[in-house]
Amino acid sequence: MRMKIGIHGLTSCYGCQLKMACIEEILEVAKNFEIVYWNMASSKGEIEKVDIAFVEGSVVTERDEEELKLIRENADALVAVGSCAIHGGVQGMIFGEDYEEIFREVYGDSLIDYEAKIGEPLRKYVEVDYCLPGCPPEEHEILYYLATFGIGSYPEEKDYPVCAECRRQGYPCILIEKGMPCLGPVTVAGCNAKCPGFNVACIGCRGPVPHGTAWFDSLARTFKEKGMSKEYIKRRMEIFGKQYEKLDEMIEKVFENED
Amino acid sequence: MRYVKIKGDKIYEFLERLKNYGKLYAPVKISEKFYDRKEIDDVGEIAFDYQRTIMPAKKYFIPPCEEMFEIDMEENEYREKLEEVEPFVIFGMHACEIVALRILDGVYLNEYPDIYYERRRKAGIIIGLSCLPDEYCFCNLRRTDFVDIGFDLFLHELPDGYLARVGSPKGHKIVDENPDIFEEVRQEDIDAFRAFEEKRQEMFKFKGNFDNIRYILELTMQDKLWDEESEKCLGCGNCTMTCPTCRCYDVQDIPEIGGKKGKRIRFWDSCQFRSHGLVAGGHNFRETKRDRFLNRYICKNSYFYPLGTSYCVGCGNCTYFCPANIDFQENLMKIRGREVIHE
Repeated sequence: MRMKIGIHGLTSCYGCQLKMACIEEILEVAKNFEIVYWNMASSKGEIEKVDIAFVEGSVVTERDEEELKLIRENADALVAVGSCAIHGGVQGMIFGEDYEEIFREVYGDSLIDYEAKIGEPLRKYVEVDYCLPGCPPEEHEILYYLATFGIGSYPEEKDYPVCAECRRQGYPCILIEKGMPCLGPVTVAGCNAKCPGFNVACIGCRGPVPHGTAWFDSLARTFKEKGMSKEYIKRRMEIFGKQYEKLDEMIEKVFENED
Repeated sequence: MRYVKIKGDKIYEFLERLKNYGKLYAPVKISEKFYDRKEIDDVGEIAFDYQRTIMPAKKYFIPPCEEMFEIDMEENEYREKLEEVEPFVIFGMHACEIVALRILDGVYLNEYPDIYYERRRKAGIIIGLSCLPDEYCFCNLRRTDFVDIGFDLFLHELPDGYLARVGSPKGHKIVDENPDIFEEVRQEDIDAFRAFEEKRQEMFKFKGNFDNIRYILELTMQDKLWDEESEKCLGCGNCTMTCPTCRCYDVQDIPEIGGKKGKRIRFWDSCQFRSHGLVAGGHNFRETKRDRFLNRYICKNSYFYPLGTSYCVGCGNCTYFCPANIDFQENLMKIRGREVIHE
């Protein structure tokens, strides 16, 4: 019997689903799994019992919250897919700010038929079993996760930073050499250091390294020594890391004797 | 030992000839400051004055990521991925790197040899090259600044060429088969070689040796220096990835969709990562960043008995390639009780 899966999108750019739709082996996937729900691919399908639910996006509306809870109730295992689902995403950047004010600024007096909230990761609302990081995730990782589930096993999640892959690829370190604001040291690996390989500093799109091992404080110190301002460092780290536990505290610590 | 000389104007011809013995790899400049070894087509691109490469020579023997074998459940088969390795030549290895390879030999070629490593090691020809230290080098403290075994040829820079020490049957073969490249060593070459070695010794930042450092380290593991230095650490693993003797790898099984086929890969791992110390049941031998940070110091300074050296060869890569500017050599000097003065 084929394993049943559901693929869902909450508030996000739907890029993770698009990536999943574009994988080369999509026909193999369709052959080996019964896809009972995938709104992006087909308007048919109801949320029903599945073995594994893949959910991209963060919870930004009450409807998102309700849908997520329904998905969770119906799934044996839930996989948070991508930076929005795992860390709140770019829309989670306003976390901690005055929401009412931002809402007024964006929507003015328009009538919105739902209650909106600050984008937060899935784990704030439901139990998450696995994380498939990326913005969007890499094809080989999507396949790896699906294939391990398919044989009744589970994927081994990476817990180390982009730097490891950058060194394995043999790329020059642009943080050392050019003093570029590379977030590789705090960002979870899996992309094979694509951006640093093209001389572009990592922006941290895959999200912080898990298990509390993203050392934003050490990196802020390194950036500071290269002459970057606190404001700049903060803004850059917040793009994808705003909701990382103690991010503010970690940056403050480095600059504490200066303000 | 047999000594011969390569006249300066013959060095590029020599490098061309090396291609007859296998694919030639040598250091080239890859960016503003960094060097790495690449396969050489035009020998004019080779950087003779490189100090260190961002990827250590271990990459030719333990690739950063390799497929070990594939599994076919339908055929009930298991297929090794390593075919016969074609001969290859690594040009320009410094003394510390050659010692590092011998350390890897001790780990990979014991009573249970690693066949992947062994096949590549047998296929590799090692051509050493003399060097002058920069501020990051401390091979003198590690007693690895001069190498007497582990190479096929070792070239020492002379004002008008290179004095070559022949270190193996393969080295003899290269010399014998290319008589037009090599000539007799003369008295002035010996004088120049001596002067080079003298000058080199003078250039090291610190004098003496690190023989007692592992004991001092063991006795000072509670020192607050380790709190401060590990606090700075990014946990990025650059130090271990660029270390010529770090040899930890991780192994992963990658099934294909449908589960009928799959492969096993292995890739460079680092003790600076959380999962390195994680074992079944969820216990972690190195739970904190401090634990992981200190682990590298303990590991690198422990004793490699077959060579009578430490696992660290004093190449300075871990300091040079540390984005957080953590100075390995200085930290060891500090726990030894030396004051380190910055100019």
